[in-house]
Amino acid sequence: MKRLITSIHKEFLILIRDKAGLAILFLMPVFLIFVMTLIQDNTFRELDETQINILFLDLDGDSLGVGIEQGLKSSGFFAVTTKMENAELNQESMNRLVVEGKYQIGIVVTAGATETIRNKAKSVIEQQFSDEDIGNESKHGLKESGKIIVYFDPVIKNSYKQTVMMALQNFTNNVEAKINFEYFAKEISDQLSTENKLKFNSEGGVEIEEQYATGKLTETFPNSVQHNVPAWAVFAMFFIIIPLTGNIIKERDSGSVLRLKLIPGSYLVSMMAKVSLYIVVCLIQFVLMLIVGMYILPILGTPVLSLGPHKFALVCMALAVALAAAGYGVMLGTIAGTHDQAASFGAVSVIILAALGGIWVPVFIMPGIMQTISLFSPLNWGLEGFYELFLRGGGFTDILLQIGLLVSFSIVMILIAYQYQRIKRI
Amino acid sequence: MPLEPIIQIENLTKTYRGSDVPALNNISLTISKGEIFGLLGPNGAGKTTTLSILCGFLRKDFGVVKINGFSIEKESNEIKKIVGLVPQEIALYETLTPLENLRFFGKMYGLDNDKLRQRTDECLTLMGLDKSRNKLIKTFSGGMKRRLNLIAGILHEPKILFLDEPTVGVDVQSRNVILEHLNEINKKGTTIIYTSHYMEEAEQFCTSIAIIDSGEIIVNGNPGELIRQNEGCTSLETLYLLLTGRKLRDN
Ligand SMILES: Nc1ncnc2c1ncn2[C@@H]1O[C@H](COP(=O)(O)OP(=O)(O)OP(=O)(O)O)[C@@H](O)[C@H]1O
Ligand SMILES: [Mg+2]
Repeated sequence: MKRLITSIHKEFLILIRDKAGLAILFLMPVFLIFVMTLIQDNTFRELDETQINILFLDLDGDSLGVGIEQGLKSSGFFAVTTKMENAELNQESMNRLVVEGKYQIGIVVTAGATETIRNKAKSVIEQQFSDEDIGNESKHGLKESGKIIVYFDPVIKNSYKQTVMMALQNFTNNVEAKINFEYFAKEISDQLSTENKLKFNSEGGVEIEEQYATGKLTETFPNSVQHNVPAWAVFAMFFIIIPLTGNIIKERDSGSVLRLKLIPGSYLVSMMAKVSLYIVVCLIQFVLMLIVGMYILPILGTPVLSLGPHKFALVCMALAVALAAAGYGVMLGTIAGTHDQAASFGAVSVIILAALGGIWVPVFIMPGIMQTISLFSPLNWGLEGFYELFLRGGGFTDILLQIGLLVSFSIVMILIAYQYQRIKRI
Repeated sequence: MPLEPIIQIENLTKTYRGSDVPALNNISLTISKGEIFGLLGPNGAGKTTTLSILCGFLRKDFGVVKINGFSIEKESNEIKKIVGLVPQEIALYETLTPLENLRFFGKMYGLDNDKLRQRTDECLTLMGLDKSRNKLIKTFSGGMKRRLNLIAGILHEPKILFLDEPTVGVDVQSRNVILEHLNEINKKGTTIIYTSHYMEEAEQFCTSIAIIDSGEIIVNGNPGELIRQNEGCTSLETLYLLLTGRKLRDN
């Protein structure tokens, strides 16, 4: 124990003597959280809060055109423009404006679109109520069918496209239903010779209420900060492998390690000291990143990071991630031949493990095989654990699996390192 | 008086992986307790390799090696307790001070605080580093680093001390200080095994030497006697050149 403290003290001295390294160690994660959260905050908002710019051109001038315009305007998702200030809005100019990216979407309801619906409704209903079997087209002579044309900015995301198409479908269905109903009502009153008109009411029916599934948490919602701070924190914490492997390889190259190997048992102690110190470094990084999420980012307009109700579980989780990162660093530093090897392999491997772990792209949208592979990424365990705490409101018992995996991973890494240096005597 | 052997090496052979010539080829040596033993030879002769095997950093291919009666494979922990090493390269933490380095290694060796303070004071003063005890090592000159490198190996007063070229790159004053100190340690009972390229130094300093070349031992014995036995040799250097030739090594 005394030797462990001595070793930690030595590592501490080495660490604080490298002022530039120290600054990088603590400022980079803060910077990372800052940038990543702000970037993603915008994309989160674009879907949720900011409106999609839509150009709308109604050549129909009838129920469908009016219905869609009203629908778009009242939905709140779209900023609808129907007139240009100094140019005429037509299909051509619309196409150009959308391609140039000034508007993300252009919608044209062509002339006669409502008429097309009417004709169809008419023919269907007449068919139902007439005894003869008459071909509908021949009777009403549908020459030209109106339609809705949608121009998309090629840059636009699929999810936006889906949103718009769904909305259009919805408005069109509404208008169609109304027209069908009107004809139907007219036909019925004609047949029954009543004066009472049937009224169409599109409201009512089954209502859909939107809610986020939350187990125990009620006050926090998934937002960019709740998502990003834990995700990038895990990522940043794993990056301590770079200074850690540097420390190990420097010690080996300087030959100090030879002295340690001549002192019985001191190599393992020295390794544990490195792990302990770098765990503390990781935890400080983590706290700094949380502070950014709680106090600094909100100044720039993001939501405030909420730590969830289970602070003890949070500390345990952070500790487990730190332990895994330090273990991985010790393993890499011991096995790598040079610091260049360790740094480049280390950095790339963390990025790959992060990608697999769902830090760039959520695991659930990965292809099946990748989803399985992602289960083996320690960064995934870290991320899942933090999501449990930050998003689902889970407690200590909910993250036991992740903690267990991370701790086991760390132990395996340290054992590999220890065995490797013991056996590797050429 | 019958000399008690402390290091016994028999038929030691070592070939590095990927190399087709052995770095050590069937070496046999006996070093007695209390000796100052010089392992001499040109660059690439196998001196560092021999010390590395004795310290347990390298695995031997073949042969028997015993230190103080302990097998280097099976009883390495027993051996570690009685040996000290001064490596050829400076093996210290550059961003720490001498005091911090020595405290660290001393405490790792389990020295208690009083003993540690006494030893660091004594050694630093003796090696003329007392005034620099709180400066970072990376600011030191080569000679200062060498002296400190030496102290780090003797702090815990080992029974057997391995030194790999401790006097390389130091001035005459430092060299004398180092050799004098080693002599003193030797008088207190430490067996010293040291490697060097300096024949004159070895001739004066060593009670016994071995000249090794291309992984083989060419001669082994008391330097004075060896010079006398070989006709025309007036010093260890002439003997050395006679035996190892004049062509360059290590290329
Ligand atoms: N790690 C290694 N891998 C492969 N070959 C090695 C290794 N270390 C040393 N050798 C080779 O083994 C031989 C002996 O090397 P060694 O370092 O023991 O020589 P030395 O006598 O200490 O030389 P010097 O006086 O230059 O320090 C040399 O031919 C060297 O090239
Ligand atoms: Mg050497």
